[in-house]
Amino acid sequence: MLNTQNILIDFKNISKTYGNNLVLDELNLSIKENEFLTLLGPSGCGKTTTLRILGGFEKPDQGQVIFDGKDITSLPPNKRNLNTVFQKYALFTHMTIAENIAFGLKISGKSKTYIDDKIKYALKLVNLDGFEDRQADSLSGGQQQRIAIARAIVNEPKVLLLDEPLGALDLKLRQDMSYELIRLKNELGITFIYVTHDQEEALTMSDTIVVMNQGYIQQMGTPEDIYNEPQNAFVADFIGESNILPAIMIEDKLVEILGARFACVDIGFGKNKPVDVVIRPEDIDLVKPEEGTIQGRVTHLIFKGVHYEMEVMANGYEWLVHSTDMVEVGQEVGIHVDPYDIQIMNKPESEDEEAVGINE
Amino acid sequence: MRNTFRKIYLALILILLYAPIATLIVLSFNSSKTRSKWGGFTGKWYISLFQDTSIMNALYTTLIIAFVSALVATIIGTAASIGINTMQARSRTFFMTVTNIPMLNADIVTGISLMLLFIACRFTLGFSTILLAHITFNIPYVILSVMPKLKQTNKSTYEAALDLGASPVYAFMKVVFPDILPGVLSGFLLAFTMSLDDFIITHFTKGPGVDTLSTKIYSEVRKGIKPEMYALSTLLFVSVLLLMLLINMSPKDTKTAKHKVFNKAMIFGRVIPVSMILIIVSGGIFYHVESGQSGSEQVVVYNWGEYIDPDVIDIFEEETGIHVVYEEFETNEIMYPKIQSGAIAYDVVCPSDYMIQRMIENNLLAKIDFDNVPNIANIDPDYLEQSTSFDPTNEYSVPYCFGTVGILYNKTMVSDPVDSWDILWNEKYNDNILMQDSVRDAFAVALKRNGASLNSTDVSELQKAMNDLIKEKPLVQAYVIDQVRDKMIGNEAALGVIYSGEAIYTQQENPDLEYVIPKEGSNVWIDSWVIPKNAENKENAEAFINFLCRGDIALKNFEYITYSTPNKAARELIEDESIRNSSIAFPTAEDLKDCETYRFLGDDVDSYYNELWNKVKAS
Ligand SMILES: Nc1ncnc2c1ncn2[C@@H]1O[C@H](COP(=O)(O)OP(=O)(O)O)[C@@H](O)[C@H]1O
Ligand SMILES: [Mg+2]
Repeated sequence: MLNTQNILIDFKNISKTYGNNLVLDELNLSIKENEFLTLLGPSGCGKTTTLRILGGFEKPDQGQVIFDGKDITSLPPNKRNLNTVFQKYALFTHMTIAENIAFGLKISGKSKTYIDDKIKYALKLVNLDGFEDRQADSLSGGQQQRIAIARAIVNEPKVLLLDEPLGALDLKLRQDMSYELIRLKNELGITFIYVTHDQEEALTMSDTIVVMNQGYIQQMGTPEDIYNEPQNAFVADFIGESNILPAIMIEDKLVEILGARFACVDIGFGKNKPVDVVIRPEDIDLVKPEEGTIQGRVTHLIFKGVHYEMEVMANGYEWLVHSTDMVEVGQEVGIHVDPYDIQIMNKPESEDEEAVGINE
Repeated sequence: MRNTFRKIYLALILILLYAPIATLIVLSFNSSKTRSKWGGFTGKWYISLFQDTSIMNALYTTLIIAFVSALVATIIGTAASIGINTMQARSRTFFMTVTNIPMLNADIVTGISLMLLFIACRFTLGFSTILLAHITFNIPYVILSVMPKLKQTNKSTYEAALDLGASPVYAFMKVVFPDILPGVLSGFLLAFTMSLDDFIITHFTKGPGVDTLSTKIYSEVRKGIKPEMYALSTLLFVSVLLLMLLINMSPKDTKTAKHKVFNKAMIFGRVIPVSMILIIVSGGIFYHVESGQSGSEQVVVYNWGEYIDPDVIDIFEEETGIHVVYEEFETNEIMYPKIQSGAIAYDVVCPSDYMIQRMIENNLLAKIDFDNVPNIANIDPDYLEQSTSFDPTNEYSVPYCFGTVGILYNKTMVSDPVDSWDILWNEKYNDNILMQDSVRDAFAVALKRNGASLNSTDVSELQKAMNDLIKEKPLVQAYVIDQVRDKMIGNEAALGVIYSGEAIYTQQENPDLEYVIPKEGSNVWIDSWVIPKNAENKENAEAFINFLCRGDIALKNFEYITYSTPNKAARELIEDESIRNSSIAFPTAEDLKDCETYRFLGDDVDSYYNELWNKVKAS
């Protein structure tokens, strides 16, 4: 369990509806100090709403937000000790970069020299020294993004909220920026709460990932946990590519998939219980037909740079397989999976836990 | 080929659009008073314009109403826009439609409904009601120009400001407001222009003694040729044009032009308001000095335009210490409903004969206390006698001016003797005859010619008059009102039906003209002073009437108005013998033998006259 002393933010039973649209349903979430926590989920699942409730821009219909031990549920945004980097940067276009960065400092009544030092420091931190007198809309998207970050962090917030900050940038810039965000987080030593629908971003940057769907938290854990041990079909499907197959748990450590029995490591599901199994494509070994648990034929082959992506038709299912070794289309193969690479999950109990194939 | 055609087409459209205004501008530099003559270039009308304190007062009123109403409307409109913008899409559409309707509404509907509302709320019509009306009709224009800017603004900049610790007000002022400022400014300018430009709504919501430029121009132009008004209209047109150019230049926001626009916004934001405030402060001092003498004693006078010598008012104020609030009307029909509604408590009014009869019948007038009007003795008893046709007991009215309707002819163009209405049916003068374009005056000619009363209600007499008018019509050059005067002066017609007061003036301009009251008789009209029942200063009103009956004062007015005066004492004081003995100005009892005043014949007969008149016009 988490050490309560370490917890900075606590969402308690937060619900939020817009009209008839239930966006968040009794959400509970604890965020630790100095954590890089990512809210991950498909578009419309309530990530932004969660962030806006924390920022103070929306009031939950029910529940409380605890920050640093205090209930801040009805505190207005300008009284909260956290800052937000908005999705579309939201720079003040009629001000210079320096004025943008100084905005919060001026409000808190800091001295001129303090402000000037802070501007210099912040611009250096985001690698934009000397941009003080530029006009906001003369900058590129990536530069504006950094200014938005600089403007937020000069106020020394305990928490920085970032809503899809890289969403509008192109691929290369996105990768560079994500490394920079990690560096910033380490230099500043504050809590980052990061929203994205991009699982790759989430996996590379986060200490903790919270996977959301339809207003519910599906799974919370380290990137490794989430990737290797998805707790339901939705998470498995949303994080990376995977083979999700209906199966029957014959007994502890033995599962029947498509009529063939595989050894596994899971226990405690009961006997002859219908379950779902997740097998990551890179965990499937293609072997000689007689060495495999089941047999099939390769139907598709694509070269993906680092690996080959193949589809194998076996026992009426198209298995997705990633491998550095190539097997020609039409060739007979056997499928082998190591016991610890088979992830057993309970059948979905509600719609939001089902695999939906959304993968933006 | 197609290109030249396109250019010609465009030029035609521009000419159509701007020809009237070009004419106006040209006339404002014409040193001749007549519209039909070019007397050389002059700037004198512009100079005399700026020397006229009543026009300068109207200018100041116009500016302060435009500025204050635009300012208030901008504040209210901007706040409303912000409110509307935060609404859900459906209620937003609803509110936008609701706020747009008043803009599309006919001005006259807005004007009349506002007037009715003010009357219902027991507001006294005046400066404040104009201001309220202008604020009301300006708000939608502000919303219209602020809304698009608000929609463009990125909502998250406001939230970003809050996020950085700004209070909602600070965030709005620092972040949202600069973004919508171009829209707010152009909304202000648009509202300012609309207010400057408005006539109809002001006309209905104004009270006595207050005039904006547009109502001033209207009342002055109705009175006759006043080239100063062309000059004023030209100036008004040019200022509205400049403002429109400013508005159209301001809200350009292509990314590249942003910096420049911002500088322009500084001009709009600083220079214009500062100059406005300067104008208003200096105007306010001026205005204050002008109206400084407004003590407690006053009399509210409602009179025809140009129907009193302004000096007379000054002398009255000086001698009695009673402040005169002076308001003008253009026709009896405009005056009547204002008295009837009681929206404004006028103290003394100057309607015409038949209208006085109607007001007495409708119980709108108070009996005059003649102990307070001893100068009634100066009025020729003949005219008191004439007045009994509309004021049978002589208790309600004191004659002020009178005149006759007759034929004005050009001696060089008419060889036959002119002594009968018959000459207007003489084919020799085909296309050289001008008739009055009003139903009663036209029928009076035909009825009198046949020996009937001009107040006839006899269907066969009226039918015959109509047929005669239809017969005459091919000979008539035009049915006009004011233009008889100008056209006769300019030798454009040989014969015209005209009022005696105008005949005197035309003779001064063109000595070939002669005026005759035909032997069959004609119309004699009398305008008299009356006191409405709801007058608040009845004794002051009587003092005012008594003052006007003084010989020297009546003489002053006679010389200014040039219409005939029933005041014996005044006539004796006239120095110029030719005028004192003028048969136009002072017809003998013999001349007036068969002349009648118009009577109000009742609504049914009225509409029968109109029906017949329409048939004449349509024939
Ligand atoms: N202001 C709002 N009014 C009505 N519905 C909203 C509003 N904001 C968000 N929603 C709805 O709430 C759901 C969750 O939105 P959001 O939290 O923005 O999702 P995400 O950030 O995960 O994409 C969506 O269905 C969205 O349409
Ligand atoms: Mg979002």
